[in-house]
Amino acid sequence: MTEQKNQTSAREIVCIVCPNGCRIQCKETDGQIVCNGQKCMRGKEYAIAELTHPMRSLTTSVRTVFPDSPVVSVRTSGEIEKSKLIDVTKALGQIIVDQRIKIGDIIAENICDTGINVICTSDRLVHPY
Amino acid sequence: MIQELYFDVTVIGAGPAGLAAALASDHEGAKTLLIEREARLGGILKQCIHDGFGLVRFGEKLSGPEYAERFIEQLPDSHVEVWTLSFVSEIKREKNESLLTVITREGMKRIRTRSLILATGCRERTSRQIGVHGRHCAGVLTAGTAQYYTNILGKLPTKRCVILGSGDIGLIMARRLTLEGAKVVGVYEAKPTPSGLMRNVSQCLWDFDIPLQVSKTVTRVIGDARLTAVEIASVDACMCPIKGTEEIIPCDALILSVGLIPENELAESIGVPIDFKTKGAVVDERNETLLRGVFACGNALHVNDLVDYVSESGEVAGKAAASPTNRSRGLVPVECDQSLLYVVPQRLCRNSEEMERVFFFRSARDMDNATLTVAKGEQVLFTKKFAHLRPPEMERIPITLSKKELDGNLPLRFHLEE
Amino acid sequence: MSYIKRVNRKLTARFGGRVSAREQDCVLYLEGELDQWDDVVAAGLVSVNRKRYDGLVNDIRFTGDQIPPMRLPKIQDDALNGATPDVLIIGGGIIGSAIARECARYDMRILLVEKEHDIAMQTTSRNDGMVHPGIDLIPGQIKRRYNMRGNRMYDQVCAELDVPFLRSGQYVCFQGRMLAIAAFFGQLYYKLLGPRVQYLSKKEFFKREPNMSPAITAALFYPDAGVVSPYGLALAYAENAVDNGVQASFDTAVLDMTVEDGRITSVQTNRGTIYPKVVINAAGVFSEDIARMAQDRFFSIHPRKGTNTILDHKASVRMRTIVSSYGTSDTKKRHTKGGGLVKTIDRNILVGPDAVETYLKEDFSTSAENIAFVFDKQRITDPALHMRDAITYFSGIRAATYEEDFIIRKGKWTKNIVHAAGIQSPGITAAPAIAVDVSKMAADVLSQTREVKPNPVFNPIHKSIVRANELSETERDALIRKNPDYGEIVCRCEQISRGEVIDALHRSILCDTLDGVRRRVRPSGGRCQGAFCGPLVLQIIAQECKESLEMVGKSGPGGEVLFGSIKEVQP
Repeated sequence: MTEQKNQTSAREIVCIVCPNGCRIQCKETDGQIVCNGQKCMRGKEYAIAELTHPMRSLTTSVRTVFPDSPVVSVRTSGEIEKSKLIDVTKALGQIIVDQRIKIGDIIAENICDTGINVICTSDRLVHPY
Repeated sequence: MIQELYFDVTVIGAGPAGLAAALASDHEGAKTLLIEREARLGGILKQCIHDGFGLVRFGEKLSGPEYAERFIEQLPDSHVEVWTLSFVSEIKREKNESLLTVITREGMKRIRTRSLILATGCRERTSRQIGVHGRHCAGVLTAGTAQYYTNILGKLPTKRCVILGSGDIGLIMARRLTLEGAKVVGVYEAKPTPSGLMRNVSQCLWDFDIPLQVSKTVTRVIGDARLTAVEIASVDACMCPIKGTEEIIPCDALILSVGLIPENELAESIGVPIDFKTKGAVVDERNETLLRGVFACGNALHVNDLVDYVSESGEVAGKAAASPTNRSRGLVPVECDQSLLYVVPQRLCRNSEEMERVFFFRSARDMDNATLTVAKGEQVLFTKKFAHLRPPEMERIPITLSKKELDGNLPLRFHLEE
Repeated sequence: MSYIKRVNRKLTARFGGRVSAREQDCVLYLEGELDQWDDVVAAGLVSVNRKRYDGLVNDIRFTGDQIPPMRLPKIQDDALNGATPDVLIIGGGIIGSAIARECARYDMRILLVEKEHDIAMQTTSRNDGMVHPGIDLIPGQIKRRYNMRGNRMYDQVCAELDVPFLRSGQYVCFQGRMLAIAAFFGQLYYKLLGPRVQYLSKKEFFKREPNMSPAITAALFYPDAGVVSPYGLALAYAENAVDNGVQASFDTAVLDMTVEDGRITSVQTNRGTIYPKVVINAAGVFSEDIARMAQDRFFSIHPRKGTNTILDHKASVRMRTIVSSYGTSDTKKRHTKGGGLVKTIDRNILVGPDAVETYLKEDFSTSAENIAFVFDKQRITDPALHMRDAITYFSGIRAATYEEDFIIRKGKWTKNIVHAAGIQSPGITAAPAIAVDVSKMAADVLSQTREVKPNPVFNPIHKSIVRANELSETERDALIRKNPDYGEIVCRCEQISRGEVIDALHRSILCDTLDGVRRRVRPSGGRCQGAFCGPLVLQIIAQECKESLEMVGKSGPGGEVLFGSIKEVQP
């Protein structure tokens, strides 16, 4: 159960777009990527992106000033470069939420120059329950 | 004297199954009560801050709290009565009604209800249940507990850990802890293949170069007040540790993701028959148990890997509970052989008007190009091909069966063949 | 030939010239070197003679491994420096706690020191909680005498201390026709000897315990047997002691003593030097070490480990009380009462224990082999026993002497020490009686320096934490209306409320750990083992004890659960 890495010519990718987790066989010949095994178009798009510029969305949490909810969950509003996951997480460490924000509220714009915002994903700061 | 309140439908548990069940029941016009023991609604979704929820249902990748909110936000516009911090301590049956004793911060309460929906979710297997030995020290915890500490309290339970078991929560926590700067030495799985979804193996482990070690298990924990190391050993085909393969791995925590068990203590207390395969109640396609007026749904029924199906199961139960019939169900047993881990529902109502029935099953092992056959005696009623089947990945399959096809006393048999 | 010559001949035959015995001042000493621990123990067991000597001191050096030193508390301060109690009790197990409470009946200033963070952390809380009827003890044994007396005291003590105690009785089962007949005659023998007994035919037995092995042909029923929570009782004793003016100091280890002219003049601890008038040795597996410091070492401890397994409530309905089978407990050979299957006071079945000699006095680890052995053994009684019903398992270390008997006496050489040492099974049963005698001995020693009078304000009554789920519905409702915290369930498996957890944190003995709360009110004692309630209890402790979450430990200092806030900690 290991990914065959460092083989640019042929590689199996597990699609993470949906829970099907299709195993996509990718072959690169003359700059053309041929994919096999995916059940849908999104799988192919994912596989090509994975080989050229892997992207991920990030879900994490940030600290708050509120003792009833010391942290609140957040995510990137879209995908960011996989290599920036750690940087973005670190940058979010600088943020401490002091407003009773709700789902969808932006807590950081254009985080780490990714062009992507970080938004709140929980109503626990505003909910009575 | 404790006052008795009446509800048409009472739902125990306000996780994804219970929320959907209560809303569905209310939608049908039943007077509905939703009881939750925690202070907040949403169940385990509250701490599942990762995304991937709701793809089937909403076509979006939501985080757990966002998914829960899609249901919670409907409550104010419904007539569902919601009790939080309320704990059902006892259920008694009187004729076809259920009598509930509920402990709340306002005092003891008694509920009489025509239909009862058990949406009590599941719990994690503990280190003791899988035979981890050594000293009871701090630093041995389940993945769910680690997730609560990290995502609800915002506190790290480890700086360097070993994860035992490759269930989805374990994989998710491996990524979560790594992103928070903790070192995950490895994920160890006693079985030869991972227990979680492949997409989680890919995006949670491979993305962060966390090793996945299969056919290995933790045999001993070492530490005094706090864990300082674990002993790992390879296991043979029977999952027994092989002498001489032991190695000691220094770490401050052992996080376990070794399986979930439906919570069925309340169901069992009133004599609801349990399926030993799912460890949940035996139900018909309306999620009614063999006790009339008692329904089960969500992970209390069988452990799902997608919340979308949990909500669906809640809705089925809620709808059925709101419009009960006293008519005989004419139950037909649904069975599976050893090629499947289980199939749900375990019964069908012969007398149902609805012809399309939705089944959920898991294969017993990894299979490629498998054919599912549903037969009644010699008569094959349904077949379908599957490219890949893996035990961790539950399959949902609607099958149309006519009244005639369900005639007779023979059980429906599910069978898989490669 | 003299006894000592015979012993030396036996030892030479078995171990070559590596081991020898000598006698001095009515104590038998073994010396030499052996590399197998089982041999060290065997040498002691072949040499021991309780009629001839006051004790056996096994000084054979074990070369097979390094014996780890006693675990010491991390704290270093002078909180107790210069203290001058009349009585210093060393050890806060059931024995030390009970002695503290009985000592409080006299007008003495009492200090109890315990090296762990709480009461009853070691042997006391790691056994089956049986109150023994005293079936297989031999007349003449000190432990038999205390067992009989202690057993009779239980109803009153538990009523005074508000500790649940159930005299549920014990069955000893026999299989095969021959043993059934033997059992019938056995009962006549026991009737002469003391513990009440009743012979049950197969039919009568299965009427009472229908789920046991069908191979059982007869049983003896001992109605005097019972079950208690051993740490619950120890805690109640200790709390009642503190309520009556005893000072208890935890994380306090005795490191050494100064002995002058046969009297202990000072005791050194990690929290300062104490100057007691009388010292009571209730240090369990370390009682021989305390005796050595007091220059009064005339016995040795050979630690013996036992493992017990607790089954889920679901699997526990199949049995009503204590059931063991004749021939399974190996009592003569292994020196354990071997409760067999015990329905505990919390109504779980407990399976165990076994008995394994060890040189590790604080090795509480469990192993799969030991548990499998115990289950195999107990399947004779109940073939349906299965490990999948286990919710937890634990090990304890018995403080056995080579005489396999208790040591309840004043010092042999040192004048101001009283030993309550070598306490193993049936220590829980015997504790109330031991405490009465030891407190008298302590008062007696003290009376040589000053007059000792009864404590005029001693109050024997102790109130335990309310057990909400044992109340009637209307009582519980009234309780919740007074304090809503009793209406918020924190532990779903055992139905423990927030109110009860908070109560546990505000008692006369400080409790500020997860294990401490668990031992007092049982959250995490159920099938989820704290996966759900652990974090909730942790938050309540932090809130009530005004600590940060990171400071809360599982069992005490060094066992903290959390490392700090996310995005803040630098691992």
